[in-house]
Amino acid sequence: MTSLSRFARGAQRELILVLAILMICALFASQSEFFLTERNLTTVLRRSVDLAIIGAGMTLVIMSGGIDVSVGGILAVSAIFIGRAFEADLPAPIVVIIGVSVGTLLGLMNGAICAKAKVPPIIATLGSMYVFIAVLYLVIGGTWISGLPDTLSFLTRGDVAGIPVGVFIIAAVYGFCWILLHRQPWGRHLCAIGNDEAAARLVGIPVDRVKMQAYALLGLLAGLAAVLYVARLRNVEVNIGTNVALEAIAATILGGANIRGGVGSLIGTLLGVVFIKLMQNGLVLIGVSSLWEGVVIGGLLVVVLSIDALQSRYRYGRSL
Amino acid sequence: MMAWSTHDPTTKRLFFLFGLWLVVIVISSLLSPHFLQASTIPFLLQYVPIIGLLGIGQTLVILSGGPGIDLSVGAMLSLVGLAVGWLFTLGVDIYAACLLGIVFGAMLGAVNGVLINWIGIPSLMATLATLFAYSGLALALTGGTPIGGLPDHFTWLGQGQIWLIPNHFLLVFVPVAIILHIVLTYMRIGRHIYAAGNDERAAHLIGIRVRRLRTGLYILSGVLAALAAIMNLSWFQAARPDAGIGMELLSITVAVLGGTYIFGGQGRIAGTVLAIMIVTTLQVGLQLANVSQAWQLGVIGVLLIGSVGINTLLGRQNLGQSLGRLLGQTK
Repeated sequence: MTSLSRFARGAQRELILVLAILMICALFASQSEFFLTERNLTTVLRRSVDLAIIGAGMTLVIMSGGIDVSVGGILAVSAIFIGRAFEADLPAPIVVIIGVSVGTLLGLMNGAICAKAKVPPIIATLGSMYVFIAVLYLVIGGTWISGLPDTLSFLTRGDVAGIPVGVFIIAAVYGFCWILLHRQPWGRHLCAIGNDEAAARLVGIPVDRVKMQAYALLGLLAGLAAVLYVARLRNVEVNIGTNVALEAIAATILGGANIRGGVGSLIGTLLGVVFIKLMQNGLVLIGVSSLWEGVVIGGLLVVVLSIDALQSRYRYGRSL
Repeated sequence: MMAWSTHDPTTKRLFFLFGLWLVVIVISSLLSPHFLQASTIPFLLQYVPIIGLLGIGQTLVILSGGPGIDLSVGAMLSLVGLAVGWLFTLGVDIYAACLLGIVFGAMLGAVNGVLINWIGIPSLMATLATLFAYSGLALALTGGTPIGGLPDHFTWLGQGQIWLIPNHFLLVFVPVAIILHIVLTYMRIGRHIYAAGNDERAAHLIGIRVRRLRTGLYILSGVLAALAAIMNLSWFQAARPDAGIGMELLSITVAVLGGTYIFGGQGRIAGTVLAIMIVTTLQVGLQLANVSQAWQLGVIGVLLIGSVGINTLLGRQNLGQSLGRLLGQTK
């Protein structure tokens, strides 16, 4: 595929997502007058920041042909460290650094298991998910880490020039990832690995290193998301991060990434996150129980994946 | 045919698993004085059939290649259990409800099979989506509350036992495992499963209907999940919307630990059964030693990663090949 037609195809997906977002907005707005208020939309925005930044990392990992289902566990373990660091009265910048480094290390560990030990990513990250949950239970058991100080809450509640801080965080993360992906050789390497790992190895791309860097970056972003989580809720409880991995994968796939690797779009992922979060918020506002979230996201994924699969069969023919 | 020589990697794997099982038994009896007692046997076997059926279904799905995987087994278990419980509260006879539940399980599995094999969605994504959808349905339709009030006579399957052997182990798990072992090892369709897993193109060219075969295995996975749901229901006397949470991971763990190659074509029912015994013994041993459940999760996670690492070590077909690989490396 030439870069031009890939661009056209990516833009096509993003256009469809924008239309879909407008459609659900119209639908929810006609059912609930509260939906389109500034207050509600700002709330949705502030709550989307964690998922948005994890989605950026997930996009890179999926583009490399991998997947990480343990990202909720990384978020949880980082949050524990952040909570404990707060309890030890460490200053806020140190706490942030601790949280982000723990996430990076855990992500790096995932990457090493996948790249060096040649364990398929789904198995490796399922396994590490178990381990992370075990750590979570062992450290906090049935209790909560609660009553943490609010020194970081400007990250989630604050405004700069009337714009929520979260917008700047998202812009910084997506800008950074976009530059990595489109203005650095690293991004080309990542795509090459996702398209054909053996060929990438043969042309001299440091495959193992690039993969580990992608997983480490996702871990770093999960650590950052943990900082935002603790800043927002000021507690750490046992259910932290349960749905994050699945939602991030769903947003990435909705955004046009190919689960087999090589193709993906940061903007698409961001739109996917917006779509999922608006959907969750709108369903509750129009009186549908939040228990239906799973059904809606799952059904949506089935539809999008089916369209993708049928489209690619139309284009490339059947394999069997 | 599969020869029982020691050069065969899958046979080596079985010996390795048996040794590992003995090690786990020794560790468990060192950890807890209560482990080496006759009363441990029914306690241990009580847990085996449910995860066992899911693990066997998972093994067959992975074995047939593609690469195939079924992440929705736990969600199918929850949903079928609720369907059976709901039918019973409507006044349907409990055994008729169970039969309908098995049909329902087959339908849920068929959805997976069609999405993956006929529409062409990668199995990981398709079953991730149906995991969302099925477990979401289970939660949403019940509002999160369990369905109880099943008849007392229905407990014979999940709670009764004959000479220390639980009924559902003897009457469901053992026959299913033996039948599927025979089908896989001695019947033509078993050869077809291995062929499809090893080289789907070649299998297609010699006339095996690969997609139909794989669809059938996803349906079988759904049926086995439904059977597991029924045993679960009879054991606990209630259908919970979260009954199957985490079971998909456990079923993949036992399949892979049992020597099933994650990209298909290699593996045996016997290996999976041994892996189930190892995992269950470990869980029961840690439970008897009063070790926190969190450790069980952690150990299973390490086992899952480690078992694939061991596969890459033991999976080397012969010494010449691995030597060639070593010499071929320029690094």
